[in-house]
Amino acid sequence: MSGAGYDAVVDVDDEGAAAAGDGVVGGAGAGSSKRYLWTMSFYAQFFDVDTSSVLQRCWAALYPRANFLDVLEGNPDLYGPFWIATTVVFILFIAGTISQWNAMAGNGPFLYDFRLLSGAAGLIYGYTLVIPVLLFGALKYFGSESANLLECWALYGYANLIWIPVALVSWSQIQILNYVFVGVGLGMSVAFLLRNMYPVLSATDRQTSKVLLILVVALHCGLAIAIKVLFFKAGSPVANKDAPPAETPKPGEGGAAMLLARFLLS
Amino acid sequence: MASTSNHQYQSPEIEDDLIDPDDADLNDFDDPLARNESRQPLTGNIGTSSSSGGGRPLNEQSWTSRIGGEDRSAPVNTIDETVWETLRRDLLAVWSKMREVLYPRYLFGGTMFDSAEGGSVGGGLRGVYANLRGAGLSGAREELAGLAGRVMDPEALLNQSNMSPGLRDWDMWGPLIFCLLLSLLLSFRAKDDQKDVVFSGVFAMVWIGEAVVTLQIKLLGGNISFAQSVCIIGYTLFPLVIAALLSALSIPVVVRIPVYIVLIAWSLAAGVSILGGSGVVKNRVGIAVYPLFVFYLGLGCLCFIS
Repeated sequence: MSGAGYDAVVDVDDEGAAAAGDGVVGGAGAGSSKRYLWTMSFYAQFFDVDTSSVLQRCWAALYPRANFLDVLEGNPDLYGPFWIATTVVFILFIAGTISQWNAMAGNGPFLYDFRLLSGAAGLIYGYTLVIPVLLFGALKYFGSESANLLECWALYGYANLIWIPVALVSWSQIQILNYVFVGVGLGMSVAFLLRNMYPVLSATDRQTSKVLLILVVALHCGLAIAIKVLFFKAGSPVANKDAPPAETPKPGEGGAAMLLARFLLS
Repeated sequence: MASTSNHQYQSPEIEDDLIDPDDADLNDFDDPLARNESRQPLTGNIGTSSSSGGGRPLNEQSWTSRIGGEDRSAPVNTIDETVWETLRRDLLAVWSKMREVLYPRYLFGGTMFDSAEGGSVGGGLRGVYANLRGAGLSGAREELAGLAGRVMDPEALLNQSNMSPGLRDWDMWGPLIFCLLLSLLLSFRAKDDQKDVVFSGVFAMVWIGEAVVTLQIKLLGGNISFAQSVCIIGYTLFPLVIAALLSALSIPVVVRIPVYIVLIAWSLAAGVSILGGSGVVKNRVGIAVYPLFVFYLGLGCLCFIS
């Protein structure tokens, strides 16, 4: 009853009435652009891409010509990051298994290591999920207004793409080749990350942005080293130690420490 | 049961009647009794098809009657049938649904009912075979070209309606059975200290994969029922169960490669049928199929290396 009266009063302004009505019915969502957190359409906005745009973004990640954030056109998607990460997990698992099989070819029946799969999943999903959140938090903390969590996720997710070809070719036993391949993968993804994050990072003051850049690079080197030693470890220094990948330290910390040690030693 | 539910819905009917225009005559109104009558033959069908259990209910009648689980709520007296009969009806429902799901209709055209007495895949494939034999080499080329064209054609996939009545009432028997079989067969060939990890890992991977793939299609704008899609994807695990069985029997690698590729392709071809009539726009078909591809390929590779 009161609702009807309310409508009658504000009926003079149609749009205002519509908006107010929405607010009354919807509660949380006042405007039509707002979507409710627990509806499908809220999450569908993060997957608002089609096949050609995904392919275009993948190509832009592998062969960067423009700033990737421009390629995203303000519509960062989560489709690419999630499915690229999934693909990388599976390909790392398969390539790692082939590498192990190569290493022990002829020594009786080969049994694959299922922990390689959970390790790959933990490493890749964890890295792609957590690091952008940390980076976003740091950027917000140091007062960068242009930081966007979705864009961070998209950046890191599409940067993972290079590991697909790298994993596809590094199942061989030739150590030099494997180091080169992983190095290329590291170089390309770091270049991709830095190039696209530099404008965002430099919004903070000079000292902070330098530290953040170094951290990003170090963490990414950690990821590369973890991939190298966990999945293509045959013949590498840790091949003898049977390190279960499931107990991987947070990608980064261990790897970054290793990298620092390597720098100090050389 | 029926009468009480009927009773509940009577008051909205009356309200509808109250706001009907004055010039409407009696024939325009919805008659609650008429709805009841339209329901009656359906339940009658179930009664006949399930109580005539001695014969094979895999004839055409079983497609129009909904044996999926509808009979549990139907007013057919199932209390005095044997346990075996109840089980058998469920198993037959699983079997008939499997036949329907595993045949990628949009690829080979036609339906499974072309030769009702034939095996599951035999119906449509036999037509293809007849074409091949009739037209010789050029016919084969045509058939292959047509097949390749249909594989790459998203419209045929989208326009097919997979909403046959047999599929509309989903059940989770097939997914559960195939998921358990897959995990079990794969865990046979795992390392001794990893059998439990492999079993639980594969089990979780299958269910999470099904859920994620379905969610992804929904997020891309597909209007599919969650449980139904999980049901169909679960049934299409059947070729992979064959692959896992072959792995458990440890057939040589040379044989595995072609056979497994065919099995994975079969799964994928059957699995993408959930996109049919889902409303995924045409230029998103590629990214909607890719998750399914990763899912089947991952499980297939796991079978391969076992």
